[in-house]
Amino acid sequence: MVTWLQTFVRSSVGKKACMAISGLLLVGFLVAHLAGNLTLFLPDDGAAFDAYAQKLHDLGPLLYVAEVGLLALFVVHIAFAAWTTIGNRKARTSRYAVQPDHGERTVASSTMPITGLIVLLFLIVHLIHFRLDERFEQGPFDLVEGTLAGPIAALIYIVGVLALTLHLTHAIGSALQTLGVNHPRWSPLLRRAGVGLALILGLGFLSIPIYALIAWGGSN
Amino acid sequence: MSTNRSLKLTLKVWRQAGPGAPGHFETHELDGLSEHMSFLEMLDVLNEKLVLEGGDPVVFDHDCREGICGSCGVVINGRAHGPDAETATCQLHMRRFKSGETIFIEPWRSEGFPVVRDLMVDRSAFDRIISAGGYVSTNTGSAPDGNAVPIPREDAEQAFDAAACIGCGACVAACPNGAAMLFVSAKVGHLAHLPQGQAERESRVLAMVRAMDAEGFGNCTNHYECSAACPKGISVENIALLNRDYLRASLLERG
Repeated sequence: MVTWLQTFVRSSVGKKACMAISGLLLVGFLVAHLAGNLTLFLPDDGAAFDAYAQKLHDLGPLLYVAEVGLLALFVVHIAFAAWTTIGNRKARTSRYAVQPDHGERTVASSTMPITGLIVLLFLIVHLIHFRLDERFEQGPFDLVEGTLAGPIAALIYIVGVLALTLHLTHAIGSALQTLGVNHPRWSPLLRRAGVGLALILGLGFLSIPIYALIAWGGSN
Repeated sequence: MSTNRSLKLTLKVWRQAGPGAPGHFETHELDGLSEHMSFLEMLDVLNEKLVLEGGDPVVFDHDCREGICGSCGVVINGRAHGPDAETATCQLHMRRFKSGETIFIEPWRSEGFPVVRDLMVDRSAFDRIISAGGYVSTNTGSAPDGNAVPIPREDAEQAFDAAACIGCGACVAACPNGAAMLFVSAKVGHLAHLPQGQAERESRVLAMVRAMDAEGFGNCTNHYECSAACPKGISVENIALLNRDYLRASLLERG
């Protein structure tokens, strides 16, 4: 088993499969995360959002299990991304004078390591804001309002989410290809669905800091 | 035949004395080139001129000059095999260029393809990947009867499309990661679609991916530049098939 795993994760296809599976599971997490966040918009002064946060908190030890699982997904995804990116840089040490472009590369596909890194940095700021701040337990909605009312914080969220959106427009279709899903009828559809899901997630998450800037901005 | 337009070009050609030696671009002016020449004939003209001037000719790989052997291939202004779709360098014609243009000519750049000299690279990594499993181990005997093994038309088409790969290495040259997945997947896919390839389907994909990884090629990140650069238009559907077959074979492998 250990030998098998070692062989598998060292192979190029195995590494990418690990990255694809962890990435798709993280997309699943984002869908749930966005659904929860959108309760912020209910016109009840944050009662629904506070109740949602409280329900998660009430899970007790189960919440920690979920958090450890989530952390593991991030660690696997980032570790394999770093591993393959370093390998890819080593595979071409001599640079072309004219950078090759055959028309299939996209801004999203070419910037995956950079957008991934921006999302990681954003994630650290995000965790400091809302996971490690003890005020979150007393009043989640108040802390969200207090934090995002600051234009710099809102801007950090906008940049973080834009990087995530660009990352996802390539990521979802790419992960499916890596896991062997490709069919002349379904793949164009799936690829577009992947971009669509990325845009829905992006617009959904963007709506929060933008709303914060407009509705709460300048209040403190 | 149309009128014979004459071209004047500035070439920036990569010169490198040998593997690992530092390379540089050398500038050459060529005048009076026929637009009907192939790109390789243009390089022949350059080499004749260099030899007459007492210089060293530019080393480049070529053989059949009809797009089927996979020997030729250079990166022309950032495009493997030049600007035309599904065209090898030997079948690219000078009418694709404008008089007065500057053309950068570079070798395939990849750790898996060390430069032999100038524009010629060592593609024996591909041969080693093929030796690892790109074949069917069976006693073929004399030619079998054409329809003895029934193969559905769709399978035959897909096998043939994959088998069209000429192993030129443009996929590696065009890939931002220097990955060889399109080549390996074409070889895996070609045999995976045929009944004769089934017995070794699993061991083949495992061995060929292992051999590919050992050659220092990069990892595929699904840019699909490879397929756009491929002179035979090999589809990235083959890469998904390779991924599928590798994951399945890896999970089910015994011992």
